[in-house]
Amino acid sequence: MAFRRSSTYITPLIFFLIVISFFPIALSPDQDFLRSLAPGVIWIAALLSSLLAIETIFSEDFRDGTLDEFFISNDPSFVLVFAKVLCHWLVTGFPILLASLISSLILYLPVSSLLPMICSLILGTFFMSLLGAIGAALSLGKSAILSAIIVLPFSIPTLLMGTAAVSSAIDYQDYSGFLLIMGAMLAIGVPGLCLLTVEAILLNYE
Amino acid sequence: MGSPPLFFKWSSKILPWLLFISITVFIAGLLWGLFYSPTDYKQGDVYRIIYIHVPSAILGQSIFMFMAICGFITMVWRVKISGMLLKSAAPIGASFTLIALLTGSIWGKPTWGTWWVWDARLTSTLILFFIYAAIIGLHSSIDNKTKADRAISILSLAGIAIIPIIKKSVDWWQTLHQPSTFSLTSAPSMTPDMYQPLLLCFLGFYLIFALLLTMNLRAEVVIREKNRSWVSKQFLNLER
Repeated sequence: MAFRRSSTYITPLIFFLIVISFFPIALSPDQDFLRSLAPGVIWIAALLSSLLAIETIFSEDFRDGTLDEFFISNDPSFVLVFAKVLCHWLVTGFPILLASLISSLILYLPVSSLLPMICSLILGTFFMSLLGAIGAALSLGKSAILSAIIVLPFSIPTLLMGTAAVSSAIDYQDYSGFLLIMGAMLAIGVPGLCLLTVEAILLNYE
Repeated sequence: MGSPPLFFKWSSKILPWLLFISITVFIAGLLWGLFYSPTDYKQGDVYRIIYIHVPSAILGQSIFMFMAICGFITMVWRVKISGMLLKSAAPIGASFTLIALLTGSIWGKPTWGTWWVWDARLTSTLILFFIYAAIIGLHSSIDNKTKADRAISILSLAGIAIIPIIKKSVDWWQTLHQPSTFSLTSAPSMTPDMYQPLLLCFLGFYLIFALLLTMNLRAEVVIREKNRSWVSKQFLNLER
């Protein structure tokens, strides 16, 4: 469904690139300076654009009644919600991963840090999609800024671990610990956040 | 005990007692701490802000725990009053967290030389405050108040799961990125003279929380049930 309208997957991508390119313009085009900032910049841009992307995940299905079918069907509804988030992440998160490769060139990241960056972004943006689904479900039909306020404080561990993984890879240190923590958070988040999202969607049917 | 009219009745009975006891203990604790405890040999009189700072920081966290328990009760058993409890506790918790942040930076200026450091504990308290703000904002954005109660109970449950993770990750972030500049825990092992007033302050702050919560909840109950007969009866009786 989302593929039919290019805006769903193009917009977060363009947003990501614009945010990335603003940092050298606003701060300084100096190579070493940018390299030290790069993990944080890429991660903040990825968080913001995945938040932007997830915000409309349920709104159309809510309007046309697809969401009603989730709860009428025989399948457990949290599995359906998980599938919905997964599809949404594949459509919007994946372009961001590709764009992060380009932006790592712009920001002079060393090649050795590309692998941890991609791995941590895969884990992190998916966790963000799960979180964003709760925010979107709670603020269904309300302002997007509310959803952002709900979700952003919860995304801080992801941001910390993600930037720590990339910047320790720049310093040639071991980064696997950070990725393991992110994976553990994702493993807890998938069942927990999906169940809470189902509850949050159900609120809209009262 | 849980139904709104019953709650209103028994809370009217205990409220004067609670008011008296909590304010007495609160003022006694603060007086003892601020005026009659010994001066610290290193920090001088500045350290006395600990009697406000530490209890409000602890309270900011324990109110969140309380809210998560209320949230669980609201989600599972749909108890109406626990949703209202959750709603009335949120602004109190946010204020105590804010007080902890403000007094912390007032304390930090003379002792550390700066208003703010990106220390692990400061950062996680700030994030706790943001989560409180998100809960209050979400509640006020939903018109149907019963629905809003359930929405914030979802959020407070998610919050109680994420807060330990935030604390841990901020700790790791600090220890990995820069040597931790200050440690708030290194309070030179306190003498009983300083410790006893602190304990009394803890008690006073908790009692004040109970008082504020009861008053908030009574107001909330009356506002929610303003069209019900027991509310009009209650207030008509009072007027007579």
